[in-house]
Amino acid sequence: MSLPEQAATRVVGIVANPASGKDVRRLTARASVFDNQEKAAIVRRCLAGIAAQQGRGQTAQEDSRAAVLVRYLPDSHNIVASAADETRIAATPLDIEASGTAADTRAAAQALKGAAAVITLGGDGTNRAFAQGWLDAPLIPLSTGTNNAFPHMQEATAAGFAAALVAHGDVPLAAVSERAKAIHVAIEAEPDDLALIDAVATTDRFLGARAIVDPRTWIMAVLTRADPAAVGMTGVAGFALPLAASCDSGVLIEFAAAERPATRVLHAPVAPGHFADVAVAATHSVALNAPVHLQGPATLAFDGERERTLQPGQRATFTVRRDGPHVISVRRTLAHAATAGRLSVECGALGAGEREGPPLARGALSAGEREGPPLARGARPAHLTSSNSTGD
Amino acid sequence: MAEAVATRELTYVGAIAEAAHTVLAEQDTAFVAGEDVAGAGGVFGSYRGLLDAYGEERVIDTPISEEGIVGLAVGAAATGLRPIIDIMFMDFMGECMDEIANQMAKMRYMFGGSASLPITIVTMSGGGMNMAAQHSQSLEAWICHLPGLKVVAPATPHDAKGLIIAASRDDNPVFVVLNKLSLRNTGEVPEDSYEVPIGKARTVREGSDLTIVTYSRMVHEATTAAEALAEEGIDSEVIDLRSLQPMDTEAMVASVQKTHRAIVVHEAVRFGGLGGEIASQIQELAFDYLDAPVARIGAPFSPVPFAANLEQAWLPNAPKIVAAAKELLGSE
Amino acid sequence: MQPDDDTLRDIHRRMVRIRVFETEAGKLAEAGRIPGALHLYVGQEAVAAGIMAHLSADDWITSTHRGHGHLIAKGGAFDRMFAELFGRATGYCRGKGGSMHISNMELGMLGANGIVGAGPPIAVGAAFTAKYRKTDRVAVTFFGDGASNEGSFHEAANMAALYKLPALFVCENNGYGEYTAQANHQAIVDVADRAAGYGMPGVIVDGMDAVAVYEAAGAALERARAGEGPTLLECKTYRFFDHVGVRGMGLSYRTDAELEEWQKRDPIHMFEERLAELGVLSQEQAAEVHDGIMAEVQAGIEFAEQSPVPDVATLLDDVYA
Repeated sequence: MSLPEQAATRVVGIVANPASGKDVRRLTARASVFDNQEKAAIVRRCLAGIAAQQGRGQTAQEDSRAAVLVRYLPDSHNIVASAADETRIAATPLDIEASGTAADTRAAAQALKGAAAVITLGGDGTNRAFAQGWLDAPLIPLSTGTNNAFPHMQEATAAGFAAALVAHGDVPLAAVSERAKAIHVAIEAEPDDLALIDAVATTDRFLGARAIVDPRTWIMAVLTRADPAAVGMTGVAGFALPLAASCDSGVLIEFAAAERPATRVLHAPVAPGHFADVAVAATHSVALNAPVHLQGPATLAFDGERERTLQPGQRATFTVRRDGPHVISVRRTLAHAATAGRLSVECGALGAGEREGPPLARGALSAGEREGPPLARGARPAHLTSSNSTGD
Repeated sequence: MAEAVATRELTYVGAIAEAAHTVLAEQDTAFVAGEDVAGAGGVFGSYRGLLDAYGEERVIDTPISEEGIVGLAVGAAATGLRPIIDIMFMDFMGECMDEIANQMAKMRYMFGGSASLPITIVTMSGGGMNMAAQHSQSLEAWICHLPGLKVVAPATPHDAKGLIIAASRDDNPVFVVLNKLSLRNTGEVPEDSYEVPIGKARTVREGSDLTIVTYSRMVHEATTAAEALAEEGIDSEVIDLRSLQPMDTEAMVASVQKTHRAIVVHEAVRFGGLGGEIASQIQELAFDYLDAPVARIGAPFSPVPFAANLEQAWLPNAPKIVAAAKELLGSE
Repeated sequence: MQPDDDTLRDIHRRMVRIRVFETEAGKLAEAGRIPGALHLYVGQEAVAAGIMAHLSADDWITSTHRGHGHLIAKGGAFDRMFAELFGRATGYCRGKGGSMHISNMELGMLGANGIVGAGPPIAVGAAFTAKYRKTDRVAVTFFGDGASNEGSFHEAANMAALYKLPALFVCENNGYGEYTAQANHQAIVDVADRAAGYGMPGVIVDGMDAVAVYEAAGAALERARAGEGPTLLECKTYRFFDHVGVRGMGLSYRTDAELEEWQKRDPIHMFEERLAELGVLSQEQAAEVHDGIMAEVQAGIEFAEQSPVPDVATLLDDVYA
């Protein structure tokens, strides 16, 4: 099931995961609950951003172009529906019956295939579930929670505006997005799985409360990025062998155990506010598309949550590929649009009655400012993103 | 005879504070919790100096959460402490009636006797201070109706101190219903620790013509009335019940057997007030001794009004008692 | 944090004890042999078992009207429990409390409670005692999604957080406040959201997964015992029986399909499957556990039925100390 071809190009998808920000990491990570009222508020701001882009074409012809269509996952907590009620944006739910599980996000991803941009609200797990349904989606991942590697803490107003710019074709996707890496996990005799940030094998016997917090249980980890400024597995790996998301390789860390003596010990932030000693046996750079093998028993955690169990002798293979989502940079998108003059209107350009609504900054700009907004002055979009490449 | 006890003049509120200090000094497991009891020393001054003396672990300001406060007391008492909690105005019982009626009063019985709830609940009742309908009530009938609770209502500084100490040593929940208009009253109060026994009435004034059964501030109105009646040759006996649950039925009945007439006086609204229970007990146990129906004086059936003249009209007082006594005697 | 083999078998045993006791109690109630109202815990076993596996008799709990499971998981003896349900002198409450007030102070079980939402303030008092006496005891209060709408919950949560008390607020969200679906009694879906308003962590776990409950409760209790204050732990669960009794009053307020969907995730069946996979407890061993507990239950019922009713002379005992 996916969107009809012609409509899809103008569709902005919104997927809000009601379960994010409420798991046991509230305790292990000294985090507070991220309530769904706040998520609904974020969606409202997203929609406001999308609405602000409506009808903002530079010519009468562009103004009359069709509005962006917002399609959303009718989540079990009515996060988007309650927010959409209050806006003038036409937002329609996808035809999915919410089960309250990650399957909802996967189904939404499948249903949104072909959309111009999708805004996700959640954590690493939410985006992983989304990528399982639509791997190479154009994504704007907004973080709702503590300590996420894939999504960002990003103001939703700007995210909505950026999504609409991309959806209208005002900004080319290729110029403002980066292809993410993904870890493809093949499990013997069982369905495949996927991770965007890390795949970790542990000695835990249960999926239980899902978080992975005790380094003594860790067997190995395959990562798409390793950032010593991050916290959690990404941070631990970053202490051992830093790797940017933009680099064309992965990282494999083998943790020490009886049969694998430690070669070094990292005192690393295993969770927000929590350091622990992590004994490492070996670290390796892993080339893209090169498989890493593992044999059970083990519990496999993907992007921070225990998801699968391997029986004794059961094999799993991990392969890092650069075939994940097109992650849209909100900053690059807006900068690109601004530099192209799409975020401002020349004062003389519009005649009275030519457009509805208050014109942008009519008469409000000084002569100096009219040259262009400060953000864009002398800055090329490429420059703005180069320092940010690991973060995006 | 017992040794002479060292006493001195103390206000009613001073006696309350002295009792609180005494209890915390005597019992390691006792603590005081309530709204504004620590930093402010109580809005009436009932706990002045307590925080400095015993520290914040034992003198605890609570949120304005009466249900939470009473629940805290129930849970703490059931697990071995001896809480003293303050419900600032008795009117606020509405906020915590479940914890009072369904938890505190019943836990021991429901649990087959395995739980003890040594809780002292200190609260303020009564009008006369222009505090209007929600800060002036006398709601003792509510709690006297609940098996499992004890209720005392001291009229004097002496009894305030002695009953708070007695309540704190009792292994049951005891409400100490204080009276806010009496806070500046003075009286002789022993310096040492002592108990006024719960369940024992006090004969304030002996007399032969009439028994006035009362409690709390109305004891003073009754005494004033008795003095006025004495000038007219009517000799009244005044019984201060002090304890409302359990109630010293024996003392009331013995007095009525002597005087043959009784007036029950309380500040609470007359209808459904304790006066009905008292009158009923007297007629059940001393019917043959009665020369007249038992009279009842209580407030009229309205909320407590605000305007001073209305409130004074509402409150029972000495002149109303005098009038009732004359009617009672004139009716024989 | 992960339970060892002994703990796993212990959690399993606690769950099966609840399941067998409640199932048999339900039969007796529907047959008219147990008087009064029974609110049965079947379906929610993973919550009580996963949490109580962390507690000793020195720790306190407050329960709900659906309280048998909490007492069983805390160590309650079947004979005295059945005796109480039957209203006998040998019951935990000497026949004065019954199902809705069943309690045992020696086990730290501060009572089932007929008043929805009454437990949290009492648990706050117990947690206060733990802190006052400078012990490492904790107080755990169980309540439902319905009770989270009572002011008592909010007052208690605020006070526990304010005083950093060693308390754990366990919301057993079974989707219904009596017969009213959660969507019709509160505007939120996650009761854990309410924690933020009191400055405490709010955590959601799968209440049908005993290990998930065990792990989350372990982290919360560690925090509580370390003096870092309370946690609100919401366990998403479901009651397999009706609000009262087994089939209850036959009110139509939920669908068979919904019930069947949840029964697919039976906390005991799921747990037994995994234990067998791990070789911790074979299916045969699990069956032996069930049989042994059934025998204990039958002995408990027999004890209760042969026990005397309370002497009427005890009617007024224990109104006062």
